[in-house]
Amino acid sequence: MAKQPATSEIGRRHYRWKELGLLIVPFLILLLEMFQLPLAQYYKASIDTNSQLIPFSTSILPNVHDLVPILGLIAAIVVVHILLNIFFPKADQMLFPIVALLSGLGVLMALRNGPDASTGSDPNLGSKQLLWVLIGLVAFLVTLFALRHMDWLRRYKYTWAVLGLVLVGITLGNALRVKNLDSPTHDQLNFGPFALQPSELLKIIIVIFFAAYLSENRDVIAEGGFRLGPLTLPPMRQLGPLLLMLGISLALFLGVRELGLALLIYGIFLSMLYLGSGKLSYALGGLAIFFLLGFVGYTLFSYVRSRFAAVGLNMVNWQAWDANVIDFARNGAGLQVAQGLIAISSGGILGTGFGLGHASALVPVAQSDMVVSVLGEEFGLAGLFALIGFYLVLIYRGFRIAIEARDPFYQLLAAGLTSIFGIQTLVISAGNLKLLPLTGIPLPFLSYGGSSVIANFLIIGILMRISHNTALEREGLA
Amino acid sequence: MTLDVFLLILRLLGIVLLYLFLMQVIISITRDLRKTAAANADSFGKLPPVVGHLIVVDSGPSKIAPGTSFNLNPQTTIGRGPTNTIQISESFVSAEHTRMWYRGGVWYVQDAGSTNGTYLNNQPARDALPARVGDIIQVGFIRFKLAQ
Repeated sequence: MAKQPATSEIGRRHYRWKELGLLIVPFLILLLEMFQLPLAQYYKASIDTNSQLIPFSTSILPNVHDLVPILGLIAAIVVVHILLNIFFPKADQMLFPIVALLSGLGVLMALRNGPDASTGSDPNLGSKQLLWVLIGLVAFLVTLFALRHMDWLRRYKYTWAVLGLVLVGITLGNALRVKNLDSPTHDQLNFGPFALQPSELLKIIIVIFFAAYLSENRDVIAEGGFRLGPLTLPPMRQLGPLLLMLGISLALFLGVRELGLALLIYGIFLSMLYLGSGKLSYALGGLAIFFLLGFVGYTLFSYVRSRFAAVGLNMVNWQAWDANVIDFARNGAGLQVAQGLIAISSGGILGTGFGLGHASALVPVAQSDMVVSVLGEEFGLAGLFALIGFYLVLIYRGFRIAIEARDPFYQLLAAGLTSIFGIQTLVISAGNLKLLPLTGIPLPFLSYGGSSVIANFLIIGILMRISHNTALEREGLA
Repeated sequence: MTLDVFLLILRLLGIVLLYLFLMQVIISITRDLRKTAAANADSFGKLPPVVGHLIVVDSGPSKIAPGTSFNLNPQTTIGRGPTNTIQISESFVSAEHTRMWYRGGVWYVQDAGSTNGTYLNNQPARDALPARVGDIIQVGFIRFKLAQ
């Protein structure tokens, strides 16, 4: 008797209305920007030929054909939303709309940057990125279906560790083969038309391994092994795998010149060690070691020094620059950062408007590493703040999924995966804004790059599966 | 109207929409938080209901007396760690050893990645297995009977 209304009530409650409601505004934003892009290109072309004011007429408005990339993306997102409704009604409803907006903006940025991009100019950047996002959506669904029982992730933790080491080996071997460490693509593997970056997969594997390892050993690690005066050090036996991971990040740092990736892996390591053990002293100690290593790197390697020198550029007092500094900002390692900052400042509060900035033509690697400066110029301070807000909400939801999860492994997994987004966003936007040395890691979803987009969708898939599993388990209570 | 003006309108509209979405997201977050706060206030001070018992049949090498009864909540974890519902301080019990939950009138038993394993009627419970009253659940070397 009592069961009948309960099931019907559950059936009504389970339609993902919140997600649908949150998807509408992102669709409008994407359509608006897509609509604006051809107009901006027309405007730029006409302003070059004659500097008079261009009259507005309906004949220059873009037609439906110009909106096709975004319409296709919206259709794909709606299909994914319907599939989520059918198969995963209890998964988190806020992640997907934010991801839809960010990845859609990523496609728009690639569409916009493609014709203008200063290095490796590829007019098809946009359609490629669209393809990657579609593949990413498929990967997202596959992850959700494949992780029905997530325990195998934990059970085969050493398999993951070995796979991670193999990926590091491939990256290093490839770097040694390419030899030209200054090219921005030296960590790619080329399979025909596809260029894969094993490092993108590596970060997920590392988080899975850390989560499995720490959830098993966290009691021992939190107790501390032996004391050195006021310091409690983690026990040596349990420290082994953690030191191994430190070795990996150093190997990448030294071998491939991947400052960003080393920073990311070390950041993941520290945040997960802190989350797992609850000991602030470990995190602070790790941070101290990091600064020590950073100092050693600074004294040993000239490319690290030049990245730090870019942080020291005094952009406000540019009149006082001497010839060395001018040369550094024009031809040296300071070029990217200096041009990026000029672009952001020219955007002002409201920005120049999408498609109307100059950053994508003038800033090297504007489509991936320097995408924050393009965003800052074209969407202005207001747009940049809104984007940072979206990332904050994304990270908040991730940690909330982690808190709600029942099992320490899922908690650590969700928190670790979320901290990937947090660290990446922080490091690359701080790098673009000259607050940290610039490193080549992508801004999640917005930077151009296939492996990065797919890896991000895998992360979102795992997070949503964890939230779905948690809700299913809690349902057992009622 | 010139194209400049039209583009300015589009730009402003874009920023307004971005913030509209951010506002929408934040409103649903606050709603969500209020709901959880209310749910927590409801359950505050209330102990989770006891929906079953585990009775020690064979205590193995441990010091627990046979016949000892443990209460089972709808979500029960067994292990050596301090966060478990049923805490067993024996070296052969892992920190998080076994998870049990009650859903739709059926008990489920699953090993939580322990060293010495969890068995339901002598079958390893690596994946969740449904259990009925009277079944024998073995945690490490201790054997329990599932009771109402």
